[in-house]
Amino acid sequence: MRFYQFILKNVLQRKARSALTMIGVAIAVTAVVALVGIADGFERSFRELYERRGVDLLVVRAGSSEHLSSSVPQQVGEQIRQLPGVRAVSPGLMDVVSFEQYNANLTSVALQGWAADSFLFDDLRLISGRRLQAGDENGVMLGMVLARNLGKTSGDKLEIANHFFTVAGVFESFNPLESGSAVLLIGTLQALMDRPNQVTGFQIILEDAADKKALLERVRQEIESLRNAQGRPWGIAATPTRDYVRSTSQIRMAEAMAWMTSIIALVIGAVGVLNTMIMSVFERTREIGILRAIGWRKTRVVRLILYESVLLSIAGAAAGIVAAVLLTRALTWWPLVNGLIRGDVSPQVIVQGFLIALAVGLIGGAYPAYRGAYLLPTEALRHE
Amino acid sequence: MSETPLLRTERLCKTYPDGQVNALVEVALSIRRGEHVALMGASGSGKSTLLNLLGGLDRPTSGAVFFEGRSLSDIPDLDRFRARNIGFVFQSFFLLPTLTALENVQVPMFEGPLSARQRSAKASELLKLVGMSHRLRHRPPQLSVGERQRIAIARALANDPPLLLADEPTGNLDSRTAAEVLDLFAHLHRDKGMTLVLVTHGQEVAERAERIVRMRDGRICCEGAALIPVSATER
Repeated sequence: MRFYQFILKNVLQRKARSALTMIGVAIAVTAVVALVGIADGFERSFRELYERRGVDLLVVRAGSSEHLSSSVPQQVGEQIRQLPGVRAVSPGLMDVVSFEQYNANLTSVALQGWAADSFLFDDLRLISGRRLQAGDENGVMLGMVLARNLGKTSGDKLEIANHFFTVAGVFESFNPLESGSAVLLIGTLQALMDRPNQVTGFQIILEDAADKKALLERVRQEIESLRNAQGRPWGIAATPTRDYVRSTSQIRMAEAMAWMTSIIALVIGAVGVLNTMIMSVFERTREIGILRAIGWRKTRVVRLILYESVLLSIAGAAAGIVAAVLLTRALTWWPLVNGLIRGDVSPQVIVQGFLIALAVGLIGGAYPAYRGAYLLPTEALRHE
Repeated sequence: MSETPLLRTERLCKTYPDGQVNALVEVALSIRRGEHVALMGASGSGKSTLLNLLGGLDRPTSGAVFFEGRSLSDIPDLDRFRARNIGFVFQSFFLLPTLTALENVQVPMFEGPLSARQRSAKASELLKLVGMSHRLRHRPPQLSVGERQRIAIARALANDPPLLLADEPTGNLDSRTAAEVLDLFAHLHRDKGMTLVLVTHGQEVAERAERIVRMRDGRICCEGAALIPVSATER
């Protein structure tokens, strides 16, 4: 018999207790992996939205941490386009609307306003209908997730903010966020939102360069020092894509919420393991006394109890991760989610889940292990 | 020059703070290598406390226990010392109920140098020695009390200790099974040269020992096969 077999037997022989502990850890790990995974997926989706298209810089109103509240005059785009090293500029206006009249769950759907010639259209795969063209003032394109949730297809009428539009086409984007949104021409959205000549920001692609970093920095500075006709600065900030995404308030909030909920789940998980292991040590006081009497060292008793608790935690983590992956996948079909959640959980988050379970096992097992190891053999043997 | 005793105690005292019970009072005892000693006495006379101190399971309040001339209080790793030098047999066997006979015997060997295969082979051998080779895969609840005590004895022999300490080893056994277990002890003593110290209430059990040490109120009151009063001995 090997030491690990001894540990395995201890865990397997106490089926009910082991199962309950594992379930406790599994629920905690499910919460952590699902929540952190969703927050992480949200950030990845957001980043991918720009990076897959090769967007290098994002220009918004300086100091606006909230993407939607940014407002920049559209003519700034023309000035940016003139700067050396800039290959393409796409203005974008964004708003969030409710489609409760079609589906009670669709309370916040992203509406995007793009220029008819924007490079942003190039990556959309048409499923039905056609791309929006200049002059399509009453046309709208729907992402496939949104179209499914609305029950609409190309040619159908769709009411947006008391105006009726015709669905010109349904598209699939590489990005779930975009597949859950609707696209209008920018002029149409400006009129709808009563924000004439205003955009939320610009997506900028730079020319290829040997020293891209230097080019990025130069263009960034040039954009920020652009001025209006009166010679006053526009008050805009140009930020590299990755930094922009990371600083976005929704993402920071989602991450903070995920971690806060996770910490609560973890504390509950660790208390569960602690409770089980302390009960186990109490129940096995005499057994530990025997092991000590026949020559087991304190360190071996510590290892026995810690390995048992870590084994329970890791087994719970495995179950919890499977549950989290299935849950995240299932959530993508929920209309309320509407593309906000990716179906995949990144390997880093899974590794994080395992490491956290390991910590839960070690923390939950530490005190019981200490107690077990320092039991006096003679007292332990007298224990009833 | 006289041979160093395997075990020797010097003014050994043990006081339990709760209730100020003087469990042992200045006990002086010497046990030769290969000797078979029975510790007798009424309940509370201190014989089990003495056995625990002899085995390094507890520390004395004052005085010392010497193993081969070395004080146990000078041994830094008493666990390792116990694992190598002492086999314990208890009245209630204290086998681990979730493990088979073969596995129970291997438990003390984890602290030794043997591989898993060697541990298993040695446990098989020891179970054969105690006449339990037909019960290797049985768990304690599936065995009779006599069989359980045999397995506990095999476990006590796992690390080839020179000393076997048994606390009421036949206390839970019927007379026939008790006799079989005592035969086994006699065999270990006679053929393997083991030193045996048995705590017992039973006169018949004690009489199979070479020497009987009788205790009363934490002191040795009589010693010797013929129950000679301690004051009459030379010690």
